[in-house]
Amino acid sequence: MSFSRSGSTTHWSSIKLALRQGTLVPLLASTVAGAVIVTPVLIVLWRSFTTGKLGFSVGLNLNNYLRVFADRDILKMLGNSVFYAAGSAALGTGLGAMLAWIVARTNTPGKALVELMPLYPILMPPIMKNIAWILLLAPRSGILNGMLQQFFGIEALVFNAFSMAGMIWVFGLACVPLGYLFLLPVFLSFDPSLEESAYIAGSRPVHTMMRITFPLAAPAFLSAFVLNFLRGLRSFETPVLQGTPGNIKVFVSRVYDSMALEFNAGLATAYSVVLVVLSVITLYFYVRATRFSERYATITGKGYRVKVIDIGPWKYVTFLAVFLYFLAGIVLPFVVLIVVSMIPYFDYDTFMSFPSNAVLNNYYTVLKHPSFVTGLYNSLVLSVTIAIVTVLAGIVMAFTIHRTRAAGAKIFEFIGTVPLAFPPLVLSVGLVIIFLGTPLYNSLWALGIGLFVAYFPYAFRNASGSIVNIHKELDEAAWVHGARWRHVFFKITLPILKPSVGGALFYIFIEAIRNVDVAVLLTAPGKEYGPVTLFEYFRLGQWAEAAAGGVIYLIILIVAVSVAKFAFKMKFSL
Amino acid sequence: MGKKIFMAGSVAFVAILFAWTAARAAEMPNMDTMKKAAEKGAQKVMQTAAPSPTTKAAQAFEKVSKELYPKAKQEGNLIVYSVWDVDHLRAISDAFMKRYPGIKVTYWQARNPEIVTRVLTEFQGGQASVDVILSDNAPPVVRAAGAIANYETIQKDVLYLHDPTMATVSLQIQALSYNTKKIKPADLPKSWEDVANPKFKGMVALDDPMRAGPLSSMLAGLKTQWKDDNRFNNFVKGLKALGVPVHQSTSAMFRLVISGEYAICMPALLHDVMEEKGKGTPVDYVKTVPPVVFPRQAGIYIKAPNPNAAKLFAEWLISTQGQQTIDSVGRESSRKDFKSKTSIESAFPKGTKPVPVTDKLFLEDPKKWLDTNVKPIWEG
Repeated sequence: MSFSRSGSTTHWSSIKLALRQGTLVPLLASTVAGAVIVTPVLIVLWRSFTTGKLGFSVGLNLNNYLRVFADRDILKMLGNSVFYAAGSAALGTGLGAMLAWIVARTNTPGKALVELMPLYPILMPPIMKNIAWILLLAPRSGILNGMLQQFFGIEALVFNAFSMAGMIWVFGLACVPLGYLFLLPVFLSFDPSLEESAYIAGSRPVHTMMRITFPLAAPAFLSAFVLNFLRGLRSFETPVLQGTPGNIKVFVSRVYDSMALEFNAGLATAYSVVLVVLSVITLYFYVRATRFSERYATITGKGYRVKVIDIGPWKYVTFLAVFLYFLAGIVLPFVVLIVVSMIPYFDYDTFMSFPSNAVLNNYYTVLKHPSFVTGLYNSLVLSVTIAIVTVLAGIVMAFTIHRTRAAGAKIFEFIGTVPLAFPPLVLSVGLVIIFLGTPLYNSLWALGIGLFVAYFPYAFRNASGSIVNIHKELDEAAWVHGARWRHVFFKITLPILKPSVGGALFYIFIEAIRNVDVAVLLTAPGKEYGPVTLFEYFRLGQWAEAAAGGVIYLIILIVAVSVAKFAFKMKFSL
Repeated sequence: MGKKIFMAGSVAFVAILFAWTAARAAEMPNMDTMKKAAEKGAQKVMQTAAPSPTTKAAQAFEKVSKELYPKAKQEGNLIVYSVWDVDHLRAISDAFMKRYPGIKVTYWQARNPEIVTRVLTEFQGGQASVDVILSDNAPPVVRAAGAIANYETIQKDVLYLHDPTMATVSLQIQALSYNTKKIKPADLPKSWEDVANPKFKGMVALDDPMRAGPLSSMLAGLKTQWKDDNRFNNFVKGLKALGVPVHQSTSAMFRLVISGEYAICMPALLHDVMEEKGKGTPVDYVKTVPPVVFPRQAGIYIKAPNPNAAKLFAEWLISTQGQQTIDSVGRESSRKDFKSKTSIESAFPKGTKPVPVTDKLFLEDPKKWLDTNVKPIWEG
């Protein structure tokens, strides 16, 4: 690899500079992290050319790909997938960005409450939201349609969970946290001189926001959008639970069918490659859009102080907006789950009879379950470790791309994101193959590396989006003064990225603690990882028990977050 | 003259009598022979009152248990991969370890596709990682790839569905279930075929027939039982003509029937219906519609590190104690002679003929079977 940006500069001088600045260290670290990420990906890709049905070996061939291209439904399904993923990402990232702006930059009343309200919905696992919203929005038995009929005499089935709109609404809500956590640090670390110039020129707050503030937040917004879009492309629970009954088929179901019906990991990978191509195209646009990264630098060497904007009476509107999100994001589904966990069975009449028919036996069932507590404890320990390691590695890789002079480092932009294009079960096969026959197989290390690969894209995209906002003049000042990479990284980049680091840690911890999909093939027999019980109940359709488990799980997390926030003054990127 | 004739007649009579007696005596067995005959007779009587299949199975199990346990004890471990719920697995392994304290059971719980993926990836990697695959859909698929060691249970005579290569330890029983608030008993479908009646349009929650789920197994079972392609085709066409949404999650579909979104569940699992019914949920099943039975098997991995423990576990699961444990966690017994609320004898009228799912192609390669038998009708 050459360390020169232009052909005219001599390679040797660049290498000497890299050695002097010590930038080989982050490059090496990123290469190691990249290798860990890319190895399972390459393995599954190779197998897509060499394997058919699991257990049967075939020679090198293109059969799997030929089948993918001969699939006559592929375009329709891809269309559905792109519409669903883009719709959810736009709704979620847009709403998240708006909430972040309200919290960081406006004088919306009830600051403490407003800061916390967008945070709590993150704690609710997406599948819990799915079930709660199905109960709320089901056409004939849903609570909302039932209420419209009972209280307003509206017979028409207004809401329908089993529709594209229903799917985008539910998954879009699940996308809000990423948008919020990615954008908040950007809005909090804004050079106010840019906005002040607009005000001096006579621009109004809303106009300034649209013309100055939001465009400057574009890299972080796009980063979150890309991530949410890719999550949408490969998301499975919402399409299965809400799409199939509405006759909406998405592309990822082909991947799943290849594994679940045909047991053909090679074909599943060939289908996943279509998702990889889509991801590459998306990333290409992202890289192009942010190629002049200096344009987006909001943190410069001039020193800054975040200015809170007085939005006048609009502050009540913004408060209402945050509150409405809080209602839709957690209160409404949480209340539904609480009631469902305490009624004998769910139908509209029984739901409306609550609390006269309340029972607590579901809580008893969950608490006496053999693995509820052990699973929760195991995953707690592992999730904290994974969050720290992944976030640090993500920042180092983003630093290598945007701050070192390593030519070709942009490739990490793709490597760091590619695991997201693979559905978890497909990626897990690659990981199993890596560890098979080694002492690492069936160990906690294998599980840890699996989770690292799965969550790295989140840490990396978060760091990449944020680092672009830090003007290079800060590092350059240090480089000029003979600093080595570790000085720049630990004394400049990391402290400035602190808010976004907090957010990423929090997000990955929350995601990893409830991960079942990636972990499942790497868990050793006899080891219970993750709140298995909770998800098992959801999977088995024991919704009342699942709701009880979910309520307990959420209460633990809400208490933990509140204690961390108020007792230990911990900041979750706030 | 008359006297002479009388004398000659008497002599002749005595001679004939003597000759006949001698001939009979020659035919008659001696005392030993008689004793043997008596013993033979007794044996015959004993054979007709021979131990019932239940007793024989129990005796055979005790014998094999005595043979296998010392070897299994030396192995010391048993690793099970299963689709069953964690609390069910915990109850089963605890009961097994109580009976055989020298064996430590560990298990890994996942869904069928995950089990197949893991086992076959390990198989190709030469890993001796698991002993028993305890599941419904997974064992036949794993067997088709050559990763199952053939093992025929010695208790086969008491089983509903016997497979000479794997022990059938439980059954998945499908029933036609309905929401009692949404449909009156008189209006219910009378058979599986009747569900395709257009009058049920909009009332039926249909499992996706193009996935390896309960509806596709029912179709495989009915096709084998009917042996009538036209009848089968019309049934699938009728279901398609209902134009109702299909579901890929059996459990979510059943919940939506309970919630009143649909009236009829096509199909539901009997133990789910029984459990909900027991709680007072407004759900029941049509007893006159014969149940579809799908085997749940304990397949022994070909590279099992603890093969004796694996065999012992498979046999114990079929034994009365094993079946009691399986029943206690709400799963259906695989034995004909086991009575419980979910057994076919108790749950369905006398003489009900279940629909067994035995189609080898369906069990081993569901995709191929569906592409051949259902796809042309369903998607055509």
